[in-house]
Amino acid sequence: MKDLLSTVKSNCRIAENIYMITLTLPEKLNLGGGQFVNLATGDNSLLLRRPLGVCTVDGYDVSLCYQVKGKGTKTLVGAKAGDKLKVLLPLGNGFDLSAYKKVAVLGGGVGIFPLIATIRANPDKTFYTYAGFRNKGAVCLLSELEKSERLTVTTDDGSFGVKGNAVSAYLADAENSAVDAIIACGPPVMLKALKTQLGERGINTPCFVSLEERMGCGVGACLVCVCKTTDGKNARVCKDGPVFNINEVEL
Amino acid sequence: MANLQVEICGVKFKNPVIAASGTYGFGREYDQLYDISAIGGISTKGMTLEPRLGNPVPRIAEGTSVILNAVGLQNPGVEHFIKYDLPYLKEKGIVIIANVAGKTLEDYGEICKRLDGLVDMVELNISCPNVRAGGMAFGIRPHSIAEVTRVARGGLNKTPLIVKLSPNVESISVNAQSAQDAGADCISLVNTFTGMVIDIESRKPVIANNTGGVSGAGIKPIAVKMVYEAAHAVKIPVIGMGGIMTGEDAIEFMMAGAKAVQVGTANFANAYAMPEIIAGMDAWLNAHGIADVNSIVDTVKLN
Repeated sequence: MKDLLSTVKSNCRIAENIYMITLTLPEKLNLGGGQFVNLATGDNSLLLRRPLGVCTVDGYDVSLCYQVKGKGTKTLVGAKAGDKLKVLLPLGNGFDLSAYKKVAVLGGGVGIFPLIATIRANPDKTFYTYAGFRNKGAVCLLSELEKSERLTVTTDDGSFGVKGNAVSAYLADAENSAVDAIIACGPPVMLKALKTQLGERGINTPCFVSLEERMGCGVGACLVCVCKTTDGKNARVCKDGPVFNINEVEL
Repeated sequence: MANLQVEICGVKFKNPVIAASGTYGFGREYDQLYDISAIGGISTKGMTLEPRLGNPVPRIAEGTSVILNAVGLQNPGVEHFIKYDLPYLKEKGIVIIANVAGKTLEDYGEICKRLDGLVDMVELNISCPNVRAGGMAFGIRPHSIAEVTRVARGGLNKTPLIVKLSPNVESISVNAQSAQDAGADCISLVNTFTGMVIDIESRKPVIANNTGGVSGAGIKPIAVKMVYEAAHAVKIPVIGMGGIMTGEDAIEFMMAGAKAVQVGTANFANAYAMPEIIAGMDAWLNAHGIADVNSIVDTVKLN
């Protein structure tokens, strides 16, 4: 874990309201799929970093994707090649797929980005990927998702791919794709639906979800970004997660 | 290299830069980024007798040059600290300040008794929890500050007592004097200012608790003024904090009358904030030919 001064290599729009920023780090770091970084926005009046999931790693270059939502991400859109941004990384635990061979990947919206990093980090695994987007304009990075053995793209309105969402697409396909693990990242409503559906259908395939929460320090010290665990405690999303066994967290 | 050592209530700090409560946990996380034995001391996450789960999320929001938090004193309880974190911190050779809170007056007395002689100092958090009587926070009224200080004081025979003052008050000078008169060995200020950030799309406050404590660079001028006022109202030493981001900011607080400083929110903006602030203070002192940091304390020259 280091706080490094990175150089912006590129920062481009890849879908409606979604940008990919590529940072060149001064040194090579090991970044696992599902880990994240805490990126300064470039505006010093914003004291908090933005926690962004690692999407791709290529030598010294790390790409992160973000949805333009508030002041911080609006500021980030203005970052140009050559700009310097502080970045704290790698953070969080990431997906550990060492015990599995065939994995179902369920991504919703911006949740697909850390999953892409996980697919790239595990070239020896077989991935069946279900990527859900709001509509055609939100669809992005298909070339990365196509690295999966099989890819199903859904949109909420049916304007691209199959009408529906990642969870419904996976469940429709669950009998055909025998997997030994499920990994998922997406909005809370999606992960909640996944948990409910797995429970109702008695699917007990190990399932790991990556959670998102407003963060402070990013390193586990400030206890801002907690989630409830099923044993009645709190876990820190930034340090104990962001990846949790779906049975161990309240969604 | 200037002398950065300071002494407060007989406790020696290798430098005057202390991690502020709630931003630095019990030190373990930042120790993975740099050797935390470089800092002057740590004020621990606010602890209670029993573990607490704290508030619902979101617990944090942001404004221009400030953040707001409402963690709600999530902590593993004092016994966990004594067994698990204290031995770890002792090995670091930094001043250990136990920040403590309670739901009732008795809680404060009991937790102080439990920590007496085990830590270097105890810092009373009297702005977060509510009292039984009328829900008024302990840290707002002079008489309740005096009451809780006396109870805490009664639990401590060996360990110096710091009372951390809330800035959400009518007169910081009067409150500082109340703490002093009731037996505080030291005061620290400022705790956070109460604030609110509203998401104008949902029309709801960003923080689940609706309100939160405002901290960060934006509060610094207010904090410097309050530290100045408090330091000139009491004889006991003052630890200053509120928006310190750089070595120069720390120097400013010391000139206002603080003998040491605490750094909190800066750790979020810059993971290496504390070592950089220490180096920045040293650089400023060297550039000004000042051999000892203690010589700048309370040297502000009013117009």
